[in-house]
Amino acid sequence: MSWPGLTTIDRIAECEGDTLGGEQMKISEGLNIISTGWIRKPKGFRVRFHKPTETGFKVGYSPPLDDAPMASDVTARRYAWKLWQATQKEVEANSPEAIYNIVVVDDLDRPFPSYATGELERYNPNNFDGRNEKKAKKDDGTD
Amino acid sequence: MPNVSTRLQNLSDVLTQHGTTIALSLAVLIAGMLLVRGIHKGLLKLMPTNRFGVIFCNTVYSILTMIVLIAAATEFGAKPLNELRGLSIITLVVLGLVIFMRPFLPSMPFKVGNTIKAGDLLGVVEGITFLNTRLRTFDGKTFFVPNHKIINEIVINYHFTPTRRLKIDVGIQYDQNLVKAKQVLEAVMVEDARVKNKPGPAVYVLNLARDSVELGGRCWVQNKEYWITRCDLLEKTKLRFDREGIKFAFPQLELHYNPGHTPDIDPRDNVLAGTNHN
Repeated sequence: MSWPGLTTIDRIAECEGDTLGGEQMKISEGLNIISTGWIRKPKGFRVRFHKPTETGFKVGYSPPLDDAPMASDVTARRYAWKLWQATQKEVEANSPEAIYNIVVVDDLDRPFPSYATGELERYNPNNFDGRNEKKAKKDDGTD
Repeated sequence: MPNVSTRLQNLSDVLTQHGTTIALSLAVLIAGMLLVRGIHKGLLKLMPTNRFGVIFCNTVYSILTMIVLIAAATEFGAKPLNELRGLSIITLVVLGLVIFMRPFLPSMPFKVGNTIKAGDLLGVVEGITFLNTRLRTFDGKTFFVPNHKIINEIVINYHFTPTRRLKIDVGIQYDQNLVKAKQVLEAVMVEDARVKNKPGPAVYVLNLARDSVELGGRCWVQNKEYWITRCDLLEKTKLRFDREGIKFAFPQLELHYNPGHTPDIDPRDNVLAGTNHN
């Protein structure tokens, strides 16, 4: 078993330092460091997408930014997947109603990795450079 | 018989003398109560449906009812000051009784809108009357449960506390990395937006069972979100363990076949042993 940043040592002496002096840290302080630094807990999720316009594209969110976000990334991911399934025809027909680059984002508007694959998933990818990528980059086939 | 005829005669005299007064007083009472009821219903619609709104509406209803009662009694000939005194005394006595006797009065351990479990029924309380409680279960059925039955049952009220502990128990095979499994299960809980930071999630080794090492994940979530969070966490745990290569345990039996060391056993020995043990 190995984790990045972890080194196992053979001699106890290498671990020993100034055991009675030095910096002291209460458990509550340590727990605060862990809660802020170990795993960031998102406050909610939205589905972000791009919609084509005459000049380029505009960014949209569902639910809208004024509404409460979804509490579950499972629900958000499922919602994004259904949107992808429901808009494939429009994308193939290059319809103005088509929506592209459907991704689940957290409360900081950062793409959130799928709980199923651990990777970022983007549905109906489009770089808006005149060509559409027909398939989603991350279709893991779990659905 | 003469008594009956005398009584009827007396009643006739009373009605002749006070009939108009009684009718007027009854009319005031009925019309007043209808008006008060209308005002109460209107107020309930206008006011917000919170605790303050309900208390305000009921207070207005009680005051208006007292005014109507005094008006009807005055129409009948009573003195308003005496009525006011009498009603005040009655109100104070009732209030005193309610305040002091409240802990001893049987009351339901829930309110309308609460999610409860009473006996085998789990659902939302839709209404409470003197006779029964209307309970809507999550599969859409409505149960009218007699109140005496609910009082005699153990009732769980899921609205009594805002949060609730959630359990994720899994079993892994003995040859799996236990420390990594604990870390992954804890991470699954910590990452979820609905899981509370305080008290924080924790993972314990619950048991070294026959077929598996049993791990128990514990975390706290909002009561309202318990069910969906539990389902999501179970799904995430399964998928994350698969991704990390941690294998779940399942009931299994290991058989070791070693033909070179099979002892010579005559089946008849067992039969004979069974018959001869007397």
